[in-house]
Amino acid sequence: MTTHRAEDQPRHVVAFSHATYTLSHTTALEDISLEINEGEFVGVIGPNGSGKTTILRAILGLILPRTGTLQIFDCACENLRCHHRARIGYLPQKGKIDRNFPITVLETVIMGRYGVRGLFHRSGKEDMAIALQALEDVGMRDFQNHPFGQLSGGQQQRILIARALAQQPQVLLLDEPTTGIDTTTQHTVLELIRRLHRELQLTILLVTHDINLISPLVDRLVLLNTNLFADGHPKDVLRYDILSQVYGSELIVTDNGYVIGGDSHHG
Amino acid sequence: MFEFLAYEFMQRALITAFLVGGVCSWLGVFVVLRGLAFIGAGTAHAAFAGVALAYLLQLPPMLVAIAFGVLTAWAAGLLEEKGRMKLDVSIGILFTSTMALAILFIGLMNAYNAEIYGYLFGSILSVTPLEMKIIVLLSIVVMGTLLAFSKELYFIAFDQDMAEASGIPARPIFFLLLTLIAVTVVLSLKAIGAVLVFAMLLIPASTAYQLTHSLNRMTWISIAIGIITSLAGVLLSYWFDLPSGPTTVLLQTALFFAALILPQRLTRGPATN
Repeated sequence: MTTHRAEDQPRHVVAFSHATYTLSHTTALEDISLEINEGEFVGVIGPNGSGKTTILRAILGLILPRTGTLQIFDCACENLRCHHRARIGYLPQKGKIDRNFPITVLETVIMGRYGVRGLFHRSGKEDMAIALQALEDVGMRDFQNHPFGQLSGGQQQRILIARALAQQPQVLLLDEPTTGIDTTTQHTVLELIRRLHRELQLTILLVTHDINLISPLVDRLVLLNTNLFADGHPKDVLRYDILSQVYGSELIVTDNGYVIGGDSHHG
Repeated sequence: MFEFLAYEFMQRALITAFLVGGVCSWLGVFVVLRGLAFIGAGTAHAAFAGVALAYLLQLPPMLVAIAFGVLTAWAAGLLEEKGRMKLDVSIGILFTSTMALAILFIGLMNAYNAEIYGYLFGSILSVTPLEMKIIVLLSIVVMGTLLAFSKELYFIAFDQDMAEASGIPARPIFFLLLTLIAVTVVLSLKAIGAVLVFAMLLIPASTAYQLTHSLNRMTWISIAIGIITSLAGVLLSYWFDLPSGPTTVLLQTALFFAALILPQRLTRGPATN
């Protein structure tokens, strides 16, 4: 078999170079250099306020670096209204969405098409077909006419993932997808994410505080502590000497791995 | 019983009530869903300050009111985006200070001016032909804009960050929504008054919110409530010699509480469309 070196090189979909981000005069991320390759499944961990959500917002183009650069799909996204944005699907942190928002499942998922379609274009049959396919992908097609607010936490997460899939993205950014849902459902949601990664060849960045749950799934873990503290295979990052420097006394070692103190109230 | 239809002032009042009721309750859907109740309430105060200044300097009241309303709504929007203080505090300061301006402007006038109090408490029966023309024009502008941008407005109401992240120009759309609030407040000012106008934006949409799980249906229910209660308010005020603004708002409030105490299965049943 002939190999083509140039093509074998993994393509970066996201490349931070010495990027620093500030939020209301506080440094949220400092001197980040990080490359995410096409098709990778990357977990992002770190204590509260370490910049986990900020890194997702940066990739989404919601904030610009104060210094340094960020390239997305080889485009230097200096303009916040970068056309690549529609190729990035995003699941925000749970709780950001009002559970009682009066919207049906299908109305929610079709919103994923709005950004792709652009201003003044109404969504048509093709968008409907894509939205239904996205619902199929997350196993929720039968729920299309259900009120979003009446679904369980896990089902809502699946619908919001379907909304992101309706954008037909190449990259999926997930902010704490398992927070606030019961343990069994957590595994179902993670299994779904793993399957989407495999079947749709999506590049996935998953932010979580739950380091045990995520580490068996991902190819790579990134540990943030405002700076990029560690980056590598999960077993190289989840080491006592590394984690204790970042989490300090909050780090508890158990038989099943590491637990971050104060997280118990999350689950 | 319907002899009032022969009076031109009643015809104008009913047309104005229909438009104000419809536009307020339609825009109100986005105000309620996007959580802008407080910003809207303050915009009404600011618009009133604009009216007072216009009378003081003998300028066109609605024009100055729109300028004041839009500037205040935008300032509140900017505070929401990058407030250093808690939002309710900073916006509260902004709005009480515009009310202070209004009272100051009134105090600077040499004579008592009854027309200004019409803008404060509303007086739909005294809407002039010119004012009605302006109300019709502004209503068409607001409704046309709502129609053109409804999918973007729904999306930013659902989640502005997610909308922005999906490639929607969420920030311009948010400021467009603030502008529409200011324009709608001003077009309703003469009919309902600065004190009560915000109820018209808030209550029909909040009632509809309790009755359905579908965005589409919430919008239609809200508009129906807005129009019916506005027309009923004018008629009741004519028949029983009541002030129409408060009558309309109290009718809406009654419907709101009725929806609130209805059993859940009668209000937000599973959507079937």
